[in-house]
Amino acid sequence: MNINFNQVLLFAKGALTTIELTLISMIIGTFLGLIIALGRISKRKIIDKVTWVYVWIFRGTPLLLQIMIVYLAIPLLTKEIFGSAIIMSRFTSACIALVLNTAAYLAEIFRAGILSIDKGQFEASKALGMTSRQTMIHVIIPQTYRRVLPPYANEFIMILKDTSLVSSIGLAELYRASEKLSSSTGKWEYLFIAAGIYLLLTSVATRIFSKLEKRYSVYI
Amino acid sequence: MIKCENIDKFFGDLQVLNNITFEIKPSEVVCVIGPSGSGKSTLLRSLNHLERITKGKIYIDGELVDYRENDKDLMKIESQKVTELCSELGMVFQRFNLFPHKTALGNVTMSPMLVRGTPKEEAEKNGLEMLESVGLLDKAYEYPSRLSGGQQQRVAIARALAMEPKIMLFDEPTSALDPELVGEVLEVMKALALSGMTMMVVTHEMNFAKEVADRVIFMDEGIIVEEGTPKQIFDKPKKERTKAFLARI
Repeated sequence: MNINFNQVLLFAKGALTTIELTLISMIIGTFLGLIIALGRISKRKIIDKVTWVYVWIFRGTPLLLQIMIVYLAIPLLTKEIFGSAIIMSRFTSACIALVLNTAAYLAEIFRAGILSIDKGQFEASKALGMTSRQTMIHVIIPQTYRRVLPPYANEFIMILKDTSLVSSIGLAELYRASEKLSSSTGKWEYLFIAAGIYLLLTSVATRIFSKLEKRYSVYI
Repeated sequence: MIKCENIDKFFGDLQVLNNITFEIKPSEVVCVIGPSGSGKSTLLRSLNHLERITKGKIYIDGELVDYRENDKDLMKIESQKVTELCSELGMVFQRFNLFPHKTALGNVTMSPMLVRGTPKEEAEKNGLEMLESVGLLDKAYEYPSRLSGGQQQRVAIARALAMEPKIMLFDEPTSALDPELVGEVLEVMKALALSGMTMMVVTHEMNFAKEVADRVIFMDEGIIVEEGTPKQIFDKPKKERTKAFLARI
């Protein structure tokens, strides 16, 4: 089978979009997820409830549906409520949906990490006169890195593959590239090439996280 | 320095402290002894709000720091007041609770820098002095996982001392240590007592209590059964329960 330069370009662009979507959703999702995780452990009931509802909705509905709703429903909703529709590009819509979804899963991962830290660490920090904020930032969270890395890596790899769902709103990423090529030419090889590229990307990610895990296991 | 009046503590239906009243004067070393479950640790931990008493009053250095009834505050307690209180009460835990992701020096300097805003060079200089006073200057840059239990506990003591507390609270500091390592920690505590620090020590080390304590409090089932000088408690105990406990040791 012959692959011409245009097809290579198509795959490359698709892969690039896939990587962009993954990195954006993971990076922003991490910040948002951490905030939500802290909200879930908060002693203030209202913060706990609000963050619980957030996690409940974004973990409890399919990512595919969330992508659709952000892209299709938000313009219609804002038109009804505000009179003018907020129209976002496919890429922006995809990012928003991915970030909101990722943040919900990461929030639970971070929360589990924080809860797994020995109570004595909280007590020692308090006994030394530290505030809750200081305790979280300087004592607790740094100790969660090692515990949080394996499920975090999991989420990263999952999102990397789940970016394929944005093809449903017509965003050109890796899966769509292969799907378009294979359906227009009738050749199945393109699907396998996409699979190979996904595997390459996830393998690179796995390797990086492995190295990070080793780095954080030095002293704990 | 420490004054507790009519302290009650319930965990649900279980009464762990029953009308506890006692006092500790400045520079006094008081050892609290008693069987497991007698409430000694709970009493200690109530002083710095790690546990909240159900009822009673606690005065630290003449200031009312806790006043509760029915598990509710009868005075306004701001969180800033609590952190200030904690930084004046140094605590050493049975399980050390060192920060594993920091070196010994890191452990000792963290709180002065964060809580008091001490600049790094000054904190490190003081930190090294503290570590030297507990005999661990050469381990300043080691992580806790590389230290023995006795060394870890001594770092924990240095860490608490770095905050220059008025009172040091020890919650069974040697109970989790191998017998050979207990001595080095008790030596540090003895030196600290001799230097005039006010100390409240919950312990099972009777010899330490005999040698170092100014007063010994014997607790059982949530009440103070008897208190007095080490001579009074160990040589001439008055109450039957005290005698029975000492006989089993």
